[in-house]
Amino acid sequence: MSIALLGINHRSAPLSIRERLSISCGEGERPFEELKKIPQIWEVLYLATCNRVEVLVNMEEAGVGVRGLKAFITAHGNLSPGEMEKCLYVYRDEEAVRHLFRVASSLDSMVMGEPQILGQVKDAYHLCVKQKASGVILNKLLHHAFRVAKRVRTETAIANNAVSVSFAAVELAKKIFGALDGKKVLIVGAGEMAELAARHLMDNGVDRMIFTNRTYENAVRLANDFQGLPVEFELLDEKLGEVDIVISSTGSPDCIISGDMVEAALHRRKNRLLFLIDVAVPRDIDPAAGDIDNAYLYNIDDLQGVVDQNTQGRLKEAHKAQSIIDEEVAKFSGWYATLDVVPTIVDLKGKAEEIVRGELEKSHSWMTNMGQDERGNIEILVNSVVNKILHDPVVGLKRESRNGGADPYVAAIKRLFRLK
Amino acid sequence: MMELIFFRFALAAYLVSTVGYVASLFAGRVRVAKVSMWVLALAFALHTVYIVMQWMGADSIPSSNIYGSLSFVAWGVSGSYLAFQTKTKTQVLGAFVSPVVVVMMIAASVGLIDGPPIPSALRGPLVSFHILLLLTGGALFALACLAGIMYLVQDNLIRGKRVSGFSRLLPSLGDLDRINHLCTVWGFPLLTFGIITGSIWARTVWGSDWQWDPKQVFTAVSWVLYAVVVHQRIAIGWKGRKAALLSIIAFAGLLFAFIGVNTFFVTMHNF
Repeated sequence: MSIALLGINHRSAPLSIRERLSISCGEGERPFEELKKIPQIWEVLYLATCNRVEVLVNMEEAGVGVRGLKAFITAHGNLSPGEMEKCLYVYRDEEAVRHLFRVASSLDSMVMGEPQILGQVKDAYHLCVKQKASGVILNKLLHHAFRVAKRVRTETAIANNAVSVSFAAVELAKKIFGALDGKKVLIVGAGEMAELAARHLMDNGVDRMIFTNRTYENAVRLANDFQGLPVEFELLDEKLGEVDIVISSTGSPDCIISGDMVEAALHRRKNRLLFLIDVAVPRDIDPAAGDIDNAYLYNIDDLQGVVDQNTQGRLKEAHKAQSIIDEEVAKFSGWYATLDVVPTIVDLKGKAEEIVRGELEKSHSWMTNMGQDERGNIEILVNSVVNKILHDPVVGLKRESRNGGADPYVAAIKRLFRLK
Repeated sequence: MMELIFFRFALAAYLVSTVGYVASLFAGRVRVAKVSMWVLALAFALHTVYIVMQWMGADSIPSSNIYGSLSFVAWGVSGSYLAFQTKTKTQVLGAFVSPVVVVMMIAASVGLIDGPPIPSALRGPLVSFHILLLLTGGALFALACLAGIMYLVQDNLIRGKRVSGFSRLLPSLGDLDRINHLCTVWGFPLLTFGIITGSIWARTVWGSDWQWDPKQVFTAVSWVLYAVVVHQRIAIGWKGRKAALLSIIAFAGLLFAFIGVNTFFVTMHNF
C-alpha cells in the first residue's frame, strides 16, 4: 500500500499542454473508467482545473502502478519523453500528502489564497466517491485535506486581502462606506479595468450604475450591459453630487474632473463621503481632489500599491500556513504508518478471542449449574483480562510504527504468538 | 456589603474582556474579539446588579460622589457600546472602549468603600436627575469621542494609502461616522437637561442659577462646542473629519470639567 500523486500544473507545464491533457482526459466518469483499469491501483482521485491535472492514488507498493499512470498522462497529453520528464511531477507518500494539503489550502494556486480550488477538490472527491473509486485511505486523506484547508483559512489571513486592482477598489469602497447596499456608482468613459471594477461593485451590493461617455452611444451600450442609466457627458458635473463612487477611465489627455468640481459636488451632497477611482493614464481626476475633506482619491498606481502590499501580506501568511500543513502532514503520517501493523494486531486479537471461546466451551460442563447472570459475569471477566493483557502490546506496536521501527516487533509477535 | 462582590467580579470581567480585545487586535482574530464581547456583556450584567443593589441599599442614586459617578459612567459606556454592537458588525471598537471602562472602574474602586459622605445639599430627586442625565450624556459623548479618534486614524490610513495592515482591523468610515453622529445627537439633549436641572437646584441651594464656578464654565464651553457640532451636523450636513475632531475637543472640555477642575481650581461644585 502506497500513496502517490502525479500531475502537471501551471508551474510545471505551459497552458497548451494543460489544455491538451485536460480535454483529452475528458470529464466526469471517463477518466475514472480508464484509471481504474490500470493494474495494482486500488483507489484513485482525478482532479482537473484550468491550472492543473492531477491523479492521486493508493496502490500496490513498489508496483507497476506509477508506470501505468505515467502512460495515462503521456498518452493523453501527447507528450514526448523529454516533455514528460520536464512537466510531470510524481510525489510519493508523505510528499504526496503534503502536496494535496497545499493544493486544497490554495497555497499551490496561481493566485495564492484564491477560494475556488477547495470547491474544485471537493467536487473531484464527490465524483470519486460516486465512481466508487475511493477507499479507506483516500476517504481519510481527503477529509483530512478539507480540515487542513479550513484551518489555514481561519487561522491565517491568506485569503483576506484583495490581490487584483479591481478587487482592491471594492475593498477600499467597503472600508470607506461599510456596506455598499444602496450606493450609486458613476462610470466615466469605458475600459476593461473600469468595467471589471463595476462588475465587482455590483456583485457586492451596489444598486445603481450610471454611465457617461463623450460618445453617448458607448454610454448607452455599457448601460445596457449593466442595466444602468446612461447620461450625457455634459451632466458629469451635476451627477458628481448624486453618486458615492466614481470610476473614471477616459482617454482624455487632461483632467476632466477638477478639484473645484469635487468641492462643489461635496457641498451639494452635504459632505456625504465620495470615493474617486481614477484608473486612466494620463489621469482624469485632478490630484488636488484627494486633499479635500470627505473625498478619497485613488489612482491606478495607488491601487497597484495596495495590491502589492496585500501580496506581500499573503506571502507572510503563506509561511504560517506552511507550518500548519507540516503539522497536519505529520498527524496524517502517524495514522498512515500505523496501518502497517493493523493486520498483525487483528491476527493477535483474533487468536486471543479464539482461545477465550475454546476455553469457555471446555468449561461449559461445570458452568451449567450456574445462573445465566453468573455465566455472563465470568465471560465479561475473562474478556477484560485478555484485553488488558493485549492492550500494552497493541499500543506499543502502533507507537513503534509511528516511529518507523515496527518491523522487528511485528516479526517477534508473529513468531512468539505463532501467527501466520 | 454584598454588592461589592459584584463590583469586583464586574471589574475582573472587564479586565478579561479588555485583555481579549487587545489581544484580538494584535493577533487579528475575530473569534477572540467575539468571546471578549460576551465577557464584556457578562461584566455589564454584574455591574448592573451592583448598581441596582447599591441603589436599593443606599436609598439614593449610587453616583453622588466622584467614585460612584465613575462607576456609573463606565456602566453607561459599556452598555451603549453593547447596544451599538448589535447595530454595526465591527468588533474592534471594543478594544478602545473596554480599556477606558477598566480605567474608570479602577479609579472608582479606590473610593467606593470609604468615599466621602453625601452632603445634605445633595439629597433630593432633582439632584438625582441632574447627575443621571449628565453621566449618561457623558457616557455617550465618551463613545462619540472614541469613534471620532478611530475615524481620524482610519481616515489618515486611507488617505496615506496604507490600507493593508492596521486599517483592516478598524471599522469603516461610514460606520464610525454614524456612531459618532448618533452618540453626539443623543448625548446633547441629556447634557442640556442635565445643566438645566442643575441650575434649578443651584437656585434653591445657592440662591442663583449660575455662579461662574470653573466647573460650570468648562461644562458651558463644552456645551457650546457640542451645540456647534450638532448644529453643523444636522443643519449644514457636516460629516466625517471635522465633526469627529470637534467632538473630541468638546469631550476633552467635558472631561476636564468632570475631573480636572477639582484638581486645578477652587470650586464650590467639588463633587
